[in-house]
Amino acid sequence: MEYDEKEYIMENHARRRGSVRGTETGEPGYHARNKAKNVVIAILALTTLFGAWQHHRAVLLRRQLDAQYNRAFYEMTGYIQDMEVLLSKAMLTSSPQKAADILKDIWHRAELVSTNLGQLPVEQGTLVNTQKFISQVGDYAKTLNGQNVKGQVMSKDQMDTIKNLHQFAVSLNENLDKFHGELSAGTMKWENLAGDGARLFSKTDVKVPQSISNIDGTFEEMPTLIYDGPFSEHMTNQKALGLSGENISEDQAIEKLGSLFGKENIRNIQKVSDNKNGVIDTYNFRFELEGKKEESVAEADVSVVGGKVVWFLYNRDVGDVELDIDKAKEIGKQFLEKSGFKSMKDTYYTEQQGVATINYAYMQDGVIVYPDLVKVKIALDNGEVVGFESKGYLMSHQERSIPEPAITEAEALQRVARKENIVSSGLAIIPTDYGKELFCYEFKGKLDDQDFLVYINAMTGEEEDILLIINSEEGILTM
Amino acid sequence: MGFKRFIIIFVLFVVFFAAIYPGQAQNSAGRASDVQLLARAINGEARGEPYEGQVAVGAVILNRVKDSRFPNSIAGVIYQPGAFTAVSDGQINVPIDPNSTVVKAAQDALNGWDPTYGCLYYWNPATATSKWIWSRQVVTKIGKHYFGK
Repeated sequence: MEYDEKEYIMENHARRRGSVRGTETGEPGYHARNKAKNVVIAILALTTLFGAWQHHRAVLLRRQLDAQYNRAFYEMTGYIQDMEVLLSKAMLTSSPQKAADILKDIWHRAELVSTNLGQLPVEQGTLVNTQKFISQVGDYAKTLNGQNVKGQVMSKDQMDTIKNLHQFAVSLNENLDKFHGELSAGTMKWENLAGDGARLFSKTDVKVPQSISNIDGTFEEMPTLIYDGPFSEHMTNQKALGLSGENISEDQAIEKLGSLFGKENIRNIQKVSDNKNGVIDTYNFRFELEGKKEESVAEADVSVVGGKVVWFLYNRDVGDVELDIDKAKEIGKQFLEKSGFKSMKDTYYTEQQGVATINYAYMQDGVIVYPDLVKVKIALDNGEVVGFESKGYLMSHQERSIPEPAITEAEALQRVARKENIVSSGLAIIPTDYGKELFCYEFKGKLDDQDFLVYINAMTGEEEDILLIINSEEGILTM
Repeated sequence: MGFKRFIIIFVLFVVFFAAIYPGQAQNSAGRASDVQLLARAINGEARGEPYEGQVAVGAVILNRVKDSRFPNSIAGVIYQPGAFTAVSDGQINVPIDPNSTVVKAAQDALNGWDPTYGCLYYWNPATATSKWIWSRQVVTKIGKHYFGK
C-alpha cells in the first residue's frame, strides 16, 4: 500500500513538472481546469473584499445622513421651545414696542423651525399640520408686529389668540419630547421613517410610528386662524369673482375656442378631462392648431361657468425674431379685445427664447386695477399668440366703486421719501398677499440707475408698497 | 495562452464593476437659479408628459411654496426628503439645455400658468399605492398623472 501511494505521488509530481499538453499526463485539460479554479477563487475573494468595502462606505454615509437629520431635529425643537417662551412673554407685556420685538422674534424663530422641519425624512403628509401651525404662528406674529410697531396695542381677541397658540406650542413640545425620548433611546431610527425615497421593495404603505403621528395630532382641534396674512385660512377659500353666468356645455366651450382661434384652424379637438374641486371648474381640451409655422398640439381650459378661456398654451419651436415688443403689445391687445377683455393696459413684459409674455391690467376710470391681470404670450417670429392666462382676472374682477381719494396727489407726494426723483404718477388698485385690495397713488421714479415704484394709500396716506423695476435682457420685471 | 485568459477575465471583472456602480448623473458647474432648479425638477418628474403636464408639475411646486403646509422656498420644497423621486433617483442633477421644453414650462409656471388650479399633490394612478395620496381630492388629470389637493 505505502509503496503504491509513494509511486502515485511521484508520478503526479513528474506529470506536473513535465509537459503540460496532456499527452504525457494522460488527462487532457487537467492543468487548465486547475488554473481556472484558481482564477475563480481569486475573483470571489476580490468580490468579497469589494462588498465589504462598499458596506463600510454605506455605513459611513448612513451615519453622516443620520447626523444631518438629528441636527435638523434638534435645531427645530430648540426653536419651538423658544417660540413657546416668547408666546408666553407676548401675553405679559403692556408696551407695544416691547411686544413688537417679541413678535418679531416669534416670526424669526418660526422661519427657522420651518426650514429645519422641511429637512426631516418623513412620509408625505406626516407633519403637514405641524408645518401649517408654524407657518401660521409666524405669519400671525408678523402681522401683529406690523401693528405694534405703529404703536397700536393688541386687542383682546388677539391676546386670546396668542394664549391659544401658546397652549398648542406647549402640547407640541410635549409630543416632540416623547419622540425625542425614542430617538435617544435608539428605539427610533430615521431610516424607519422611510421618507428618503429609497425604499426598494415597498409596495405597500409604510406604517407611521405612533410618536410621530402624535406630533401632528397635536393640532387636531386647532381652530381656524383668520387674519391679514398670506397663510390665513381665508386665503384657501377664494371664489372666482369674475365668473358669472350660466353653465355651458362641452360643445359650447368648443365653439368658444373656435371663435377665438378661427374654427377652420382647429383640428382634432378632444376634451381631455373635466376639472372639478379646484377654484374654477373647467373643461380641458387638446387640439391641433393650423398656424403659419407648423402644426403642433395646443391645450386650453374653458370655464364651465360663463364659458371663459381660463388659459391656453401652445408650445412650438420659435424661429428668428422678426417683431419688436411694441408690435407684440398691439397684437396682444387685439387678441384680448377679441376674447372679450375690454379696457386693458399693458404693464410689464418678459422676453424669453423669442416669445414675449406681456402682462395686461384692467383700467377703470383711469385707475390701473392690477389684481385684474391677464397675460398673453406672443411668438416674435410671426406674431402668433402662443399663450394666454386669465385666472388672475377671473378671480378678482368686478365692477368696483372706486371712491374719490381722501388726499390729493400733492399731499401723497409729500409722503414719498424720494419725491425729487419722481418721474410720473397715477392712481392704482394694488393687491396684497392677504386678499385685500388697496387704492393708492402710484409714483414712478428713478434713483441713480434704479427705477422704482412707490404706492401711497390714497385714503390714509400710508406708504403701502415699494417695487423695484429691474430692466434685464429678459424684459422688465418688478420686485 | 495563459496571458490571454487573464486579459479576458480582467475585462470581465472591469465590466462587472462598471455594471454594479450606480449610474452617475453628470453634475453641472454653475449656480442653479429658480428657473434652472424648477426646470430640472420638471425634467426629472414629467419628461415624457404633454407640455401642460410639465407646466402643471412646476405649478404644484410653486403652490407648495405658497402653502402653509410646505417649506417656503422652491429649493426647500424640491429637496424636502421623500417629496420627489427626481431627487432620490438623481434625475434632478441631469443638466438641461437652456432651449429645452422643460425650461419653457418652468418659465410659464413662474409666470403664473397653473393648469391644476392650486393643487399640491400629484401621483401616477397606475403605480401609486400609498393610501394617503389616494385620499387626496382629485382636481384634474393630465397625461399619466392625477393632480389633487
